[in-house]
Amino acid sequence: MLGYFLHRLALAFVVLLGLAVATFLILHLVPGDPVLQTLGNRATPESIATARHQLGLDRSLPAQFWTFVSHAVRGDLGYSLTLNAPVSDVVGGRLGPSALLILYGLVVALVIGVPLAIVAALRPNGVVDHGIRLITTFSFAMPTFWLGLMLALILGLWLKWFPVSGYDTGIGGILRTLTLPALTLGLSLATIVVRTLRSGLLEVLQTEYIEAARSRGLSERRVIVKHALRNAIMPTITVLSVNLGFLIGGTVVIEAVFQIPGVGSLLLQSVQRRDYELVQALALLAGAAVVLISLATDLLQAVVDPRVRLAGR
Amino acid sequence: MRRTGYVTAAAVCAAIGLSACGGSSGSGDDGGGAQAAVAAGRDSSQARQCTATPRKGGTLVYARQSEAQSLDPINLRNGNGDIFANELIYSGLVRSDPTGKTDDLVGGVADRWKASKDGKTYTFHIRPGIKFTNGDPVTAEDVKFTLDRFGDPKINQVMSVVAGGYGSSKVVDPSTVQVHLTKPVASFLYNISIFPAFIVPKKLVQQQGDAFFKHPVGTGPYKVKEFVRGSHITFERNPYYWEKGKPYLDEVRFDFASDSNSRMLAVKSGQAQIADGVPFSQINALSGDQRLQLQSVKVPLFIGMWLNHQRKPLADLKVRQAMQYALDRKQINEGIFRGVGTIPNSVLPALKYDASADQVPPYSYDLAKAKQLMSESGFADGFSTTLQYPAGYDYYKQLGLLIQQQLGQIGIKVKLIEQDAAEVTDRFDKSDYDMTFPYPQFTSDVVVPDEYATFVANSPDLDGFFTHWSDPKIAQMVQEFTTTPDEAKRAQMWPDIQKAMLDASPVINVMDVPYVNVHGKSVCGTSVNALGVDHLEDTWIASSAGTE
Repeated sequence: MLGYFLHRLALAFVVLLGLAVATFLILHLVPGDPVLQTLGNRATPESIATARHQLGLDRSLPAQFWTFVSHAVRGDLGYSLTLNAPVSDVVGGRLGPSALLILYGLVVALVIGVPLAIVAALRPNGVVDHGIRLITTFSFAMPTFWLGLMLALILGLWLKWFPVSGYDTGIGGILRTLTLPALTLGLSLATIVVRTLRSGLLEVLQTEYIEAARSRGLSERRVIVKHALRNAIMPTITVLSVNLGFLIGGTVVIEAVFQIPGVGSLLLQSVQRRDYELVQALALLAGAAVVLISLATDLLQAVVDPRVRLAGR
Repeated sequence: MRRTGYVTAAAVCAAIGLSACGGSSGSGDDGGGAQAAVAAGRDSSQARQCTATPRKGGTLVYARQSEAQSLDPINLRNGNGDIFANELIYSGLVRSDPTGKTDDLVGGVADRWKASKDGKTYTFHIRPGIKFTNGDPVTAEDVKFTLDRFGDPKINQVMSVVAGGYGSSKVVDPSTVQVHLTKPVASFLYNISIFPAFIVPKKLVQQQGDAFFKHPVGTGPYKVKEFVRGSHITFERNPYYWEKGKPYLDEVRFDFASDSNSRMLAVKSGQAQIADGVPFSQINALSGDQRLQLQSVKVPLFIGMWLNHQRKPLADLKVRQAMQYALDRKQINEGIFRGVGTIPNSVLPALKYDASADQVPPYSYDLAKAKQLMSESGFADGFSTTLQYPAGYDYYKQLGLLIQQQLGQIGIKVKLIEQDAAEVTDRFDKSDYDMTFPYPQFTSDVVVPDEYATFVANSPDLDGFFTHWSDPKIAQMVQEFTTTPDEAKRAQMWPDIQKAMLDASPVINVMDVPYVNVHGKSVCGTSVNALGVDHLEDTWIASSAGTE
């Protein structure tokens, strides 16, 4: 078990290092300069040179990369030129809304997806199953910015159930302001839940122990919830954890549409402004989140299922 | 075609850039369609309830496309996002007429000032009784401290270009400061009317350093109550503000909303009472909403198409003039800018001293003449070139396509290159372009032409603002213009320069465009100065409806 854990940990480290190198190279090879973006057309060549020197942008790429990595290891994520503040301060203030949005979106996806999957699995290829497939495919295929705007238009502007945009703290504020964005995020994710859970359920429902449970005269509800769902949901959780990256990516657009001060909108803006250190830090953090969650899922499965552990050898 | 009259009238207005074009005159009547619903000029056409005496109280929520990032006026990070916030917190010695009716300067922290004959010494008298938001009086020491920062290129990195010629300041007495310039700078007063010269308290800035700008203290109409990065900034009334009875509003909140659709939704739902950056494509749709008022604000914003004179065809005068004649600006204005643009008679944005269209006529759309000029040029068979434009803006793509088609008619094959805005700017800065729209929002910081004329015509170290164009005669004219202190003489000199530059067309101004804002009809006193900055100390809300 320990060997497996260490092996996975080493792999995670390699993935993160690769991510750091790729982000760094892409950023520095794409044309565009943070100093020009910040100082704009009025800056004199001297002030541009001064700012570039202060930021260390006049040094060689390997030297800049080494500074970034050695600082990051010590927990120093650098300094945001465009926001004129330490990256850790900037990101720290933005993590909350995004984390809540992702969590809320996940809950929405499960609340919508699980019942639909059960209904679809009980009558496979029936009218209801086809209807659910059609609707979820539609919501999955719609671009999130469009889906978000439609929800804001219908539930916000016309029905006035929710504010069209903005962010508030406190439980009431979060429920009020994050429901539409979470719905946007959750609706596209619900499709994945429905698809995987439905096929998982179909498989489980044909096993002998379900037949045995039924033959013992257990209620259908008990058979589904206690026996079938428990066994079928594991692959869904794995798929969801794999899709965390998708969720983090989704926040970029959704936060812009709903004006949520999270890391997604920060990332978009920092890319546009070529705020190197901020983009690097955000990419690294998002990568770390994905790697950590998938590591946790793998370990959980290894604990639950010895076959995974042994296969890891 | 039926809009010809309107367009010409508006062009005249742009050219003289004056009050006469605001509000009721100039616009609308013969325009029909969308234009009638857009209040032109810098004045909004006010709703009926706004004719009453201004009402005190209430909160105004303003959905703004670019967020405030820096509250340090000398170290801005995000253009208008920062400028508009800083304008509420601070003010300069002098300021651009807040009513927007003229582009003259009026008193700010200083109530009187005097320039010496040679234009090298300015004496400022601080307005008696003026105080900072913490109640401390503004002293000559504060003014000297501020101006010395303004003049120090190590501190004033972003806008050192407007501080050129600053020498030193001397405290004459507690309410008088004398400024010495190293050379006459005709636009000096205009240069110190904008943000890098906003007055800050010496004692607090020295004590607190950078931390001061997290909780800034200024002389503006509002002070910061809460600043949540990436979300909003809330201002409350400055009780010490020097204009009696103002500001009317208790609070102003800027909500940062980069997405234009969500900004428009916020105004439509009443969540915000005013929003900036109305996309041109939404003007028609919004003008149908009875509760909303569109406001078109004349500012020095233009669609500047920059030409690289290192490319042989573009260095050919006849080619450039042919391009000017080949552009069907009426079609561009109506198709893309929904008629709110104005046809320019300058290669620079519309600025103070600009001559009228009678005196300096704009290029007309004349395909025959364009073809003739092409045949007389060194490139009679046409040529291929590229046009770079920034991605992610609602009109550049359509504009590029129209220009491609229009220039195609005179044998210029234009390849369009869409790029991320940062990349377009970067390549511009390295002169790596043929034709380009270098900045998504291309505006002048000051209302006088000194800045842009110098950039394009008289700055060898900037390679003529990366055009690589130079004309010694025009450079000399600009040099004289920018160093002549006498206003009347300057007003006489400029039209000749304007005409000479338009004839030479080193760059092409495709269109002068306004800022388009939208606000609820109960929002009154939405005047904007000549640079497009709102004066929210004059703003009030007519009924209780707007107070959230």
